[in-house]
Amino acid sequence: MAVDLRALANKTWRTIASIQTGVVLLILVVILSAVGTIVLQRPTTDADEMQSAYSPHVLRILDAVGLTDVFHSWWFLGLVLLVSLCITAASIDRFPNSWRYFSRPYKYPDEGFRRASHPQKSLAIADEESGLVAAQRALHSLGFKPERVVREDHFGIFAERHRISELAVYIVHASLLLIFFGTIVDGIWGWRGYLSLNEGQSSNIVELHDGSTRTLPFAIRCDAAGQENYKDGTPKKWWSKLAVVEDGRDVQKKEIVVNDPLLYSGVRFYQSSYGPNGKVDKLLLVATPNKSSGEKQEVGLALNDTVPLDADTTVRFAEFFPDFAVRDGEVYRKSNQLENPAAHLVVTSKRAGKDFDVWLPAMDGVADNSLAPYQFQATDLKMGHFTGLQVSHEPGQWGVWSGVVLMGIGLAFVFYVVHMRFWVVPVRDPKTGKTLLWIGGTANRNRDAFEQRFNDLVALVEGELKTIPGTRSEQVATGISN
Amino acid sequence: MARVKVEQQQPATGVTLIVLVGLAIAFLLFMAFLNVVKSGNLLNETNLLFAALIFYSGAGALYLGFGITGTESYVKFASLATGLGLIANTAAIAHRWYEAGHAPFSSVYEMLLSFVWTLAVLTLVAEKKYGVKVIGTVTMPVAIVGVVLMQLLRTDVHPLVPALQSTWLHVHVTLAMLAYAACALSFALAAMFLIQDNVKTETFLAATSASTLAIYASVVLTRFEKWGGLSLVAWNPEQKSEVFLSRGVRLFVTIPDLGWLMTLTLLVVASPLVFYGLARWKHSDSFLTLANRAVFLSILLQVMTLVMFLVRASDGSYPSLDAEGLFPTSLAASPFILSGLVGGVFISLLYLLLVWRRPDLGRLLPSADNLDRITYKTICLAFPLLTLMIASGAYWANQTWGSYWSWDPKETWAAITWLVYALYLHMRITRGWRGRRAAYFAIGGFAVVMFTFFGVTYLLPGLHAYA
Repeated sequence: MAVDLRALANKTWRTIASIQTGVVLLILVVILSAVGTIVLQRPTTDADEMQSAYSPHVLRILDAVGLTDVFHSWWFLGLVLLVSLCITAASIDRFPNSWRYFSRPYKYPDEGFRRASHPQKSLAIADEESGLVAAQRALHSLGFKPERVVREDHFGIFAERHRISELAVYIVHASLLLIFFGTIVDGIWGWRGYLSLNEGQSSNIVELHDGSTRTLPFAIRCDAAGQENYKDGTPKKWWSKLAVVEDGRDVQKKEIVVNDPLLYSGVRFYQSSYGPNGKVDKLLLVATPNKSSGEKQEVGLALNDTVPLDADTTVRFAEFFPDFAVRDGEVYRKSNQLENPAAHLVVTSKRAGKDFDVWLPAMDGVADNSLAPYQFQATDLKMGHFTGLQVSHEPGQWGVWSGVVLMGIGLAFVFYVVHMRFWVVPVRDPKTGKTLLWIGGTANRNRDAFEQRFNDLVALVEGELKTIPGTRSEQVATGISN
Repeated sequence: MARVKVEQQQPATGVTLIVLVGLAIAFLLFMAFLNVVKSGNLLNETNLLFAALIFYSGAGALYLGFGITGTESYVKFASLATGLGLIANTAAIAHRWYEAGHAPFSSVYEMLLSFVWTLAVLTLVAEKKYGVKVIGTVTMPVAIVGVVLMQLLRTDVHPLVPALQSTWLHVHVTLAMLAYAACALSFALAAMFLIQDNVKTETFLAATSASTLAIYASVVLTRFEKWGGLSLVAWNPEQKSEVFLSRGVRLFVTIPDLGWLMTLTLLVVASPLVFYGLARWKHSDSFLTLANRAVFLSILLQVMTLVMFLVRASDGSYPSLDAEGLFPTSLAASPFILSGLVGGVFISLLYLLLVWRRPDLGRLLPSADNLDRITYKTICLAFPLLTLMIASGAYWANQTWGSYWSWDPKETWAAITWLVYALYLHMRITRGWRGRRAAYFAIGGFAVVMFTFFGVTYLLPGLHAYA
């Protein structure tokens, strides 16, 4: 029974670690991601649009299986976890072999290896020592550090470069896992939301993308915000001066612009929009009394401000419409754009004992401008602005970025760093009995470029052999080369 | 790099073509020079781009001549012309960069500028380093189409909206262009491999028909309107921009009758595929002859459709289903449809080249083994570029929107592209896939790239509204 269990575990392990499983899982990820871009996704689509795109029946099915939110569904997360598991298992399964290869380099080629090795070449030499010295010098001049390998009954030279390249693929796999890890951490503990602040306002409540809200342990105050334009009127820059308020104190201040966020205790605030909030900051008026005796005066009013005009008359700024329309004697707000503004003032006269509704501009049937003791003329309107901030908390992003950097390094090693090995062994030609210098080499990738390098090495060794006295550099036997 | 020695064919015609192309280049440059003297401004972008166009056209003619006749001596002059065109192209990019104060990657026009540049560089590299001389026959006509498109899509130096003012964006787009160009090259090399690997010509016939069918199907399915109209995005000539009804909602105008023409062309480009299917089913070569005739017919119709599209979309005002009145449109408003139509004609012409000159192509191309290896090397180049492209895009998104990954369709498809090439590498390295299977895989990978580049922008909505 125990044996069976072990066999089962072993088989499961083989399955998970196999390349086939990995390929099938990756193909599944590809297909499901593609589906997620074709079926409308809940997080990015209005509910109305979803309803008009699919019939209620279809929508119910799509919702039930999670196809309307593929990338946040449990089965997609499960699939990513399975892929991670598969990568881990495959790496663990193959790593010991690579590690053995890496930690115990094969330094002396035996006869079988020599026979099968490609490329290889054999040069005639006078004696073993001069041949090895020549090879050593040649390898030195190519920038290698050749090493004498001495065993009981044989000896030779071994030289290699970039052995780390054998392990590079594990770096890439580890980096991918790190990225997955970061993304999953963000998926569980991270959040994203939106915060809109008027100038001067402060808030600690963030509206999350799923519609709920989140209260921060500190507040953000917007001291000022603005927009710079190009000559043609398109926006060039949005900026906001933000302050972080914690326990009633300003703990951090920063002017943020698009692409340059404010970071405080793991929460980032990004400038994402800017515009008029449809609220008036200050309305400047000139008030002219109906009586000829009175003086013209300038008045500045914020919304709901009350200002005395004379001993028994006050004016209050009651309502403001950035874009108004009149229907059936009522004034409506058409939009928040400053298109067609209207102001509602209430003038209170103690002497007349009543209030007058003054509208700017004057509106028949709504306003009693002409009855009021003062006539008003608007001279300037200062509008309030809001700054739109994206807020996000992504504790896993450091995993993601370090994974990305690691992957860059790993890929560079995988594709462009070649593990090259050279062996030089003096051998005796069994037919002629003469001494030969056998040279062989391998590279783990880019083999045609390596062959070129190998031929360079052979040429160098031949050159060195000529300079060593008492050596014939005549080539006796050649292996398969090119 | 063992290449079969190419025999010199018809040396007389060889010289004639070089002299003709040389004369044409000299004549055009002279005329352009006269124009410049009149206006007095030598080194502006228009002139530089025009010079690039002249040189690229010369190179394209010579490469085509090489592709068709196999005259080796054309190549030297062709690569010289490509080099000169590249210099003019580089100067045009530099000029625009200087003028705009930011790297030229913010509009379709500017992206084309760098795409054509990359294409020319890669062509020269593939030719000089790997000896794939015939590559220019494919890439240079694409470059010429690119430059011509640029003339149509000319935009003034546009100020950048705040979200686009980031070095990371430029890094991202540059890497994307380089990666996609490398993928395109791997595709061309894989296709050449299949030619060298003796894949039947009718298989290429089916592929040609299927890809043109995909182009017309995506146009007809998304843009066919009631009563046979074709809807295109409206264009505001004063602001040089698309017309928006509200944020993110474009105004479409309907060009009458063009939809019928598109549908007719769709049927005709599909017909070779049908005949191919019949030929396979009935084991009869007579259907293949029919299929080849249908390709001829489809080229004629495609050219006609293209001309009609050019004539009607470049000028005139058309009614809209969404708003009262007539609105103008422009070719600049429909760059993807335009490139699709041009691409369709181009693919079909390449097929004709294959049908007529298959034995010559066999001699001109490097050996199958070499092509297989170079395809792999190109993907080894493309894959890290794709990785860096995605990473820089994520970094930029994080700086701008506060999220490094938001699963918008473009991002998702970029990830799918990356996965597909990752699968290719795993199959190749661990399973030892070589030859045909690897080549089909490389071609499939490029199809995904094309979908990511064109299809997503065109068919699927998302955040990447800028590009």
